[in-house]
Amino acid sequence: MSKIFNQILTSKKQQNEKYLSIFLTAGFPEKDDTVDIILQLAENGVDFIELGIPFSDPIADGPVIQKASDKALTNGIRLKDVLNIVKKVRESSDIPVILMGYLNPIHTMGIEMFLNNAKEAGVDGLIIPDWPYEESHLYLEQMQRADIDLIHLIAPNTPKTRIREIDTISTSFIYCVAYTGVTGQDNRPTRRTTEFFKYLNQTLKHPWIIGFGVNNHRDFQLYTQYSDGVIIGSAFIQLLETTPASARIAAIRSFIRGVK
Amino acid sequence: MTRFNKIGYFGEYGGQFIPEILRPALIELEDAYNKLKDDPQFQQKFKEELHDYAGRPTALYFAENLTKHFQKAKIYLKREDLNHTGAHKINNAIGQILLAQYMNKKRIIAETGAGQHGVATATVAARAGLECCIYMGAEDIERQHPNVQRMRLLGAEVKPVHSGTATLKDATNEAMRDWLANVKTTHYIIGSVVGPHPFPMIVRDFQKIIGEETRAQIQKKENHLPDYILACVGGGSNAIGIFHPFLEDAEVKLIGVEAAGLGIDSHQHAATLGRGSCGIFHGMKTYILQNADGQIQLPYSLSAGLDYPGVGPEHSYLFNSKRVEYNSVTDQEALNAVALLSRIEGIIPALESAHALAYLNYLMPKTQKEEIVIVNLSGRGDKDMDIYITHICEAEKNKQ
Repeated sequence: MSKIFNQILTSKKQQNEKYLSIFLTAGFPEKDDTVDIILQLAENGVDFIELGIPFSDPIADGPVIQKASDKALTNGIRLKDVLNIVKKVRESSDIPVILMGYLNPIHTMGIEMFLNNAKEAGVDGLIIPDWPYEESHLYLEQMQRADIDLIHLIAPNTPKTRIREIDTISTSFIYCVAYTGVTGQDNRPTRRTTEFFKYLNQTLKHPWIIGFGVNNHRDFQLYTQYSDGVIIGSAFIQLLETTPASARIAAIRSFIRGVK
Repeated sequence: MTRFNKIGYFGEYGGQFIPEILRPALIELEDAYNKLKDDPQFQQKFKEELHDYAGRPTALYFAENLTKHFQKAKIYLKREDLNHTGAHKINNAIGQILLAQYMNKKRIIAETGAGQHGVATATVAARAGLECCIYMGAEDIERQHPNVQRMRLLGAEVKPVHSGTATLKDATNEAMRDWLANVKTTHYIIGSVVGPHPFPMIVRDFQKIIGEETRAQIQKKENHLPDYILACVGGGSNAIGIFHPFLEDAEVKLIGVEAAGLGIDSHQHAATLGRGSCGIFHGMKTYILQNADGQIQLPYSLSAGLDYPGVGPEHSYLFNSKRVEYNSVTDQEALNAVALLSRIEGIIPALESAHALAYLNYLMPKTQKEEIVIVNLSGRGDKDMDIYITHICEAEKNKQ
C-alpha cells in the first residue's frame, strides 16, 4: 500500500474520523478542468480522490456518470491524459488519487505498462469493477511492485464467506456499494442493508467505505454510522454539470463543507 | 479459496469480468445448470418442448435449384427459419426459461438486436407467466418494427435504449444494468454465446441441437458427413450451435461469416474476428472492435442481428486455433443472396442468415460435384421486409 495513503487511512481510523472521497470523471466538463478541480477538492478537505477513466460502455454506471464519460471521450481524453492529470496534481498536492475505470482501456495499454505508468504518475490505487479477484490476482505481484493497491468491492448480496475472503486479500480499504444496482440511484438503505452494514462494521479488519447513491450531509451521517467513510460521485458530477466555470470554486467549497 | 480460480475459459478467451454484485447470480446459475444438465428429467422436458412447442427437428432441405445455380457441390439448408418464432433463438429461450423457473425467478430480461431473441424470450415468458422486459436499441426498434409489435402483443415491455449507438451493444449494457439492480428476482436470458461464464457455455449447449440434428440428418440422406458448413456470426450462437457437434471431425470444414457492412476496409462493418483485437467487454475476454485507446468502436451492419462489436469467446478460440475459418460479406452481397434464394427456392431468409448464403459465391467455385455444403439458415426474413422492400424491390423498380 502506498505510504501516504496508508498513513491517512490509519491515522483517521485511530481518531475515529470519517473519510470523504469524491469521484469525478477525468476530462469533464472540459478536458483541462480536472487538475484544478482536484486541487480545489484537496484544499477543501476531501480525503482522497477517485478519478474516473472514461469508457464507452460503463455497465456499472447510471445515467449521470455515463453522460460525463461520453462527454469526456468527446472532449478527446485518453488514458495517457488521465495519467498526466495525476502527474500534474502531484506537482502541488499529496492527496491520494485512486483511478476508477473499466478494464478494457487498461488491457489495451497493456496491464504491466499501465501499472508502471500509473506508478510513475503517482497513482495510489485502482478500482476496476469488472476485474474481480479471480481475474486480477495474476497481477498482484506487479501491483505490489508498483506500490498500487487494487481496491475490492463488496455488495449487500455478497455472501459472508466471500466477504471474509475479500477482507483477507485486501491491501487497502474495501469499497462497499450501498445497494445492488448502478451508480447514482436514489436508493435508501432497507432494514436488510442496515443489518448488512452493521455486520461489516463488526467483521471487517480493513477500513471500508460506502459508495453509490451517496449525495449529501444527511447521507454522510447516515452511512458513517457504520462505515469509515463515503464516496460521493454522481451528485458531484451533477454539481459540475450545472455550475458555470466562473462559479465553480465557490460551488465546490460550499458543496464539500456542506457534506462533512 | 474455492471460487478464486480462473473459470469458464476457452483457451485464453472467456472468463468472468463482472461486478461483484453479479457474482452470486452467476454462481447460482452455474450451480443450477450443472445440476440440471445431467438430469434425465430436465433433458427429457427440454427435448419435449423443442419438439412440441418449437417444432423441432427442423428440416435439412436439399436445395436443388441453388445447387443447379452453382453447378458444383450439393447444397443443403438447415431450416432453423421454420422454428416457432422464426429463428434458432427459440432453442436457447426454451432452455433458459426452464432454468429460470428452476431458480424460482419471477422476472425475465433480455437484450435484442434484430428482435428475434426478444420475440423468442417474450414468447417463452408469456407461456411461463413471467414478467418480461426486453431492452432494444432505439435505432433497432426503427428497423425491426414488426418484431417490436410482436413482443408487445406477447405481453413483454419493450424498453428503447437511447444511450451510446442505440443498437445491440447498448441494449446489452442496459440489460446488464437492470440485472445489477434486480439480480435477486430476475433472470437475464442472454441471447447469444456471449457475456460472462457460464452464459457462453449454457447458450451453446442449448443451441447444439442444431448440429446434432444436422449430423443425423445428413448421414441418413448422404451416408457421410458434410464437407463444408456455413453459418453467419454476430455473437455467434447459431454458428456454435451447428459447428459444435462437428468440431472433432477434422474433415468437415467450418466457415463462419461475419458482416462486412459497407466493406471490410470501410470502417463501417461488424467483422469482429476479421478486423478486431483481443479485449474485455460485456464480462468476457474475446475479440472486439475497439480503437487504439480501448474504447469500443461502433460496428455497422444493415443487419441488426450482426451489428455487435464483440463475438462469443469460443469463436475467438476457434479462430485462433484455426479450427474454424472466418470470412465476411457486405450488406449488398447479403441482399443479393436474399433475392436469389427467394426467387429460386421460394424461401425468404433473414438478412443475418443471408450472410452465410452470400459466402457461397466464394466457396462454391472451389468445391467438387460430389461434395456436400450445408448452410445454416438461422432465421426467416419476415422481420426484414421493410429493408427488402427498400433495398431489393424498389432498387429493381428504379432500374427498369
